[in-house]
Amino acid sequence: MCRATTSPACTAILILNKRVYSMNKRILAAILGGFVSVAVHAGEYDISVDRVQIDTGDFVKEGIGYNGASPGPTLRFKEGEEVTINVTNNLDEMTSIHWHGLILPFEQDGVPGISFPGIKPGETFTYRFPITQAGTYWFHSHSGFQEPNGAYGAIVIEPEGREPFRYDREYVVQLTDKHPHSGDRIMRNLKMSADYYNRQQQTVGDFIDEAGEKGFMATLKDRMMWGDMRMMKADIEDVQGFTGLINGKGPEQNWTGTFEEGDRIRLRFINSSAMTYFDIRIPGLEMTVVQADGNNVQPVNVDEFRIGVAETYDVIVHIKDKEAYTIFAESMGRSGFARGTLAPEEGMTADVPEVRDAPLLTMADMAGHMDHGDMNHDDMDDMDHSDMNEDEMKGMDHSAMGHGDMDHGEKSGLPEDPFYAKGSGLIPTASNGGKFLSYQDLKAQKPLYEDREPTREIELRLTGNMERYEWSINGVKYEDADPIVLQYGERVRFKFVNETMMTHPMHLHGMWSILDVGEGKWNPLKHVISVAPATTVYMETEVDAPGEWAFHCHLSYHAAAGMFRKIVVEGGPDDEVATDEKADKGGDA
Amino acid sequence: MKSILRNAMLPAIALALSPGVHAAGEHGGHHGGDSIGEPGKAEDVSRTIDVTMLDNYYEPESISVKPGETIRFRVKNDGAMVHEFNIGTADMHEAHQEEMEMMVEHGVIKGDKIDEDMMKMDMGDGKTMEHDDPNSVLMEPGETREIIWTFTEATDLEFACNVPGHYQSGMYGDIDFE
Repeated sequence: MCRATTSPACTAILILNKRVYSMNKRILAAILGGFVSVAVHAGEYDISVDRVQIDTGDFVKEGIGYNGASPGPTLRFKEGEEVTINVTNNLDEMTSIHWHGLILPFEQDGVPGISFPGIKPGETFTYRFPITQAGTYWFHSHSGFQEPNGAYGAIVIEPEGREPFRYDREYVVQLTDKHPHSGDRIMRNLKMSADYYNRQQQTVGDFIDEAGEKGFMATLKDRMMWGDMRMMKADIEDVQGFTGLINGKGPEQNWTGTFEEGDRIRLRFINSSAMTYFDIRIPGLEMTVVQADGNNVQPVNVDEFRIGVAETYDVIVHIKDKEAYTIFAESMGRSGFARGTLAPEEGMTADVPEVRDAPLLTMADMAGHMDHGDMNHDDMDDMDHSDMNEDEMKGMDHSAMGHGDMDHGEKSGLPEDPFYAKGSGLIPTASNGGKFLSYQDLKAQKPLYEDREPTREIELRLTGNMERYEWSINGVKYEDADPIVLQYGERVRFKFVNETMMTHPMHLHGMWSILDVGEGKWNPLKHVISVAPATTVYMETEVDAPGEWAFHCHLSYHAAAGMFRKIVVEGGPDDEVATDEKADKGGDA
Repeated sequence: MKSILRNAMLPAIALALSPGVHAAGEHGGHHGGDSIGEPGKAEDVSRTIDVTMLDNYYEPESISVKPGETIRFRVKNDGAMVHEFNIGTADMHEAHQEEMEMMVEHGVIKGDKIDEDMMKMDMGDGKTMEHDDPNSVLMEPGETREIIWTFTEATDLEFACNVPGHYQSGMYGDIDFE
């Protein structure tokens, strides 16, 4: 039952053993009498799902929240606790809550149609599960577009032992991209016209300017080439026009966390956006990244970092004076931003930087889209876009291709990041010229699993047709796809090949995603793996959770369009698949 | 290219190696002293303090000393990473962190390993990258080492691990003067 390499239960027992020495005899006896009876902390929590008003400062919008507000409350759990959470649906539609990143029995995972039928209007559903991990996570509805409409909140889990950090105070910094349109309306508009919300399209004016610089034919060819791909260089964010919120507050409302001079502050960043990646910095402060997706990482000092949709990063900052500092989160495509402040007292503010120029996608970002067969996807290090399919490239005027290089020429001397295509327009740089966090920097602080060879590899091509706003995996959308069947006990290597020009944050429920950063046993555990355009990224998963799970792109409208799979884990610790209670599954995963 | 890089970092490394007996910079703290103390003699040791280094924190996280006292620190690295135990002021630690950053960039410190050969390599003018300040020990997992230190006057001191990110995430301890 207790498999030495993988079982969290084993870890727990080890910790218990360690702690036994400091416990008194009575508790020791209790432990020896039966492990299970160790004073388990049990907490009960009530959450109501409500219609709420969301005021961003730019607009007021009806939405969905928890306990009367959006975002909902921050749930604070303790590792080892048995939680009971009563969720009451006050809406006139079905709802659900998914505990994002939590390792739990699949019936508690909250995905309608996969883990349970969902929660009917007026009904109270009681979730019960043990908390087997620590760190920063979040929760959100997995029904329809309730999450983009406001149904999300934070989860903070205190570890059983001490935190391997020192800080004086902490704040959750939960970001979202609140849009004035409802999720349903956005999806309808995207289906009607994929560029409906793309305000950064290049205009006739741009064309004339560019033609003046580069010549009419070169510019025309450049445009036609991108037109052929049904993509545009500005296709970095397909839903623009949002207001970035921090803990529910827009830039003008300025969420503020207070501190005292000399404090070390832990900031728990959570990106609860529907569609938006943010580049985050606090001008004047270095940030030490200590945790990613709830798992402690070997600390990295950075000036700026990019947070993918549904990811979390914990950083520690040390403020030695009594000044105010701006938390500035620009969207990756620079179409919007979120802003908050750290200040010695409420009301103090610091300068809010200008949003930098929008990046443009380059030839490198379209490589995966143009060429599915010949590119070498086997080895990220070897990825060389000069190997790109000659046939498709032939006849193209290479001066037209130079466009990307021209715009990003200043980046040519910078170190490459294997998690972006070579020459990608998306490679981030720190605004102060300093250190920008890369996936490469993420190394587990304390590996949870023993490193071992994967038992097999599964290739997942991330595919789509931008014009029809269809998103899929291996060219097949969710409703037409068979589940991916895994066997309990195997270690699967997933190979993501992004053949689209958008970045996809892939989220596997129920089991950890071990991101391959080339560091063997130090490869970090995550729950979201961001895959940039024209790149191949690997992750491995120890299949240690029986049942049925969701696996999808966490961009709300991509998931809804079909970039989604059901995972079925066959077998289990007792070699029994729990399939009998799933008769009445239905719903809207 | 490599040798140029190495030469370029020499002055910085040399700085790291000079035992900074006097605290640089100013400290508005309550102690007012500016001496971090000096290497002590075994015969003057009044007591031994065991310090355990874990990933990434110390046990204990604060110690009390008296001016003039000589203490033997028995430091054990019980973590899975390379750690340092360094006695100094916050400013000294900050300066040292940049040098440690370079040591990591140049592969002298690799997660759980210290490249001793690289540290001992003659850089061409008799200098090496050895980390042998008397106020500091840099250790791989499993190692135990000792420092005998005499605290001469009350100063704002910390013991700290300056491996990149470790100090910032909380691997430091306070030295309080009684």
